[in-house]
Amino acid sequence: MTVQFDLEAEIQRLLTEHDRIAEQGITVHRRENVVVLGGEVESAERRDEICRQITGRFPEIEITCDIGITRAQAPSEVEEIS
Amino acid sequence: MIRIAAVGDVHVDKDVVGRYRPALEQLPDRADALLIAGDLTRHGTPDEAKCFATEFGGLAVPVVVVLGNHDHQSDQQQQVTEVLTDAGITVLECSSTVLEINGHRLGIAGAKGFGGGFAGACASNFGEREMKDFVGTTEDIADRLGESLRSVRCDALVALTHYAPVPETLAGEPLEIYPFLGCYQLGNAIDSAPTALALHGHAHHGSERGRTPGGVPVRNVAHPVIKQAYNVYQLLSETVDSQLVPA
Ligand SMILES: [Fe+2]
Ligand SMILES: [Fe+2]
Repeated sequence: MTVQFDLEAEIQRLLTEHDRIAEQGITVHRRENVVVLGGEVESAERRDEICRQITGRFPEIEITCDIGITRAQAPSEVEEIS
Repeated sequence: MIRIAAVGDVHVDKDVVGRYRPALEQLPDRADALLIAGDLTRHGTPDEAKCFATEFGGLAVPVVVVLGNHDHQSDQQQQVTEVLTDAGITVLECSSTVLEINGHRLGIAGAKGFGGGFAGACASNFGEREMKDFVGTTEDIADRLGESLRSVRCDALVALTHYAPVPETLAGEPLEIYPFLGCYQLGNAIDSAPTALALHGHAHHGSERGRTPGGVPVRNVAHPVIKQAYNVYQLLSETVDSQLVPA
């Protein structure tokens, strides 16, 4: 159990503190023997870099990368504040 | 009527330049100003700030920002601020600005803010030096944001922070990290002035809407929350209607 928590913490800190990643908004969930990464980033390059770094650092662990790229289209609606 | 476009957590670096631009080119047709709620960059380097200024600068509307925690990562927040200011972007840190829009004065007071948590589960200014420094920083920023808000003379007042002033807009984040996402002192500062709208970012997995204890509408405009280039909020709708009749 401790090992599992350590792994998730280690991945979380790598995601934030690794100079080429610096993401705080990635979720890390363990499902059986698979670690699922979720959340959204600003570019496909960032998503690919995350997967590359995590699989490189933890080669023995199966990683599923469900990270999306946040859409950046113009809005079509206005919200009235009152 | 005033229309404000807002987004936060755009985390710009070379790989993002160009992604927002098509939506930003349409912004002047949809809003009178653009407010950005911090985490403008990934690591807070002057080079990344230049990328941000390239992407979000040079618009036909004023751009007003606060920095986020990512913009402090390289300890170069002063240089980052200079790059942005040189590009014509207004950077607020416990300070305010007034924009003249459609004959109205839009006041914006902004600060990065800090963590500390919320009522019933907050840190105290007590114990180790490091803990007192942490909560002392929170209190100091919130006090100065409150002063900035109360000092502005305007028709509509907006508070702009990176950290959250209420827990409602954090819903979706793990409860355990709430103290790192915002603090109730920012909410009190916002309530100490006649604030019409409070905008923040930082909570990428949070929710869009909340209210301060005093009833001020709060919007989390973190990019992964709003899932588009920016949101648009309309203020002073009724005032404009009444003023359509010439005095
Ligand atoms: Fe962020
Ligand atoms: Fe942040």
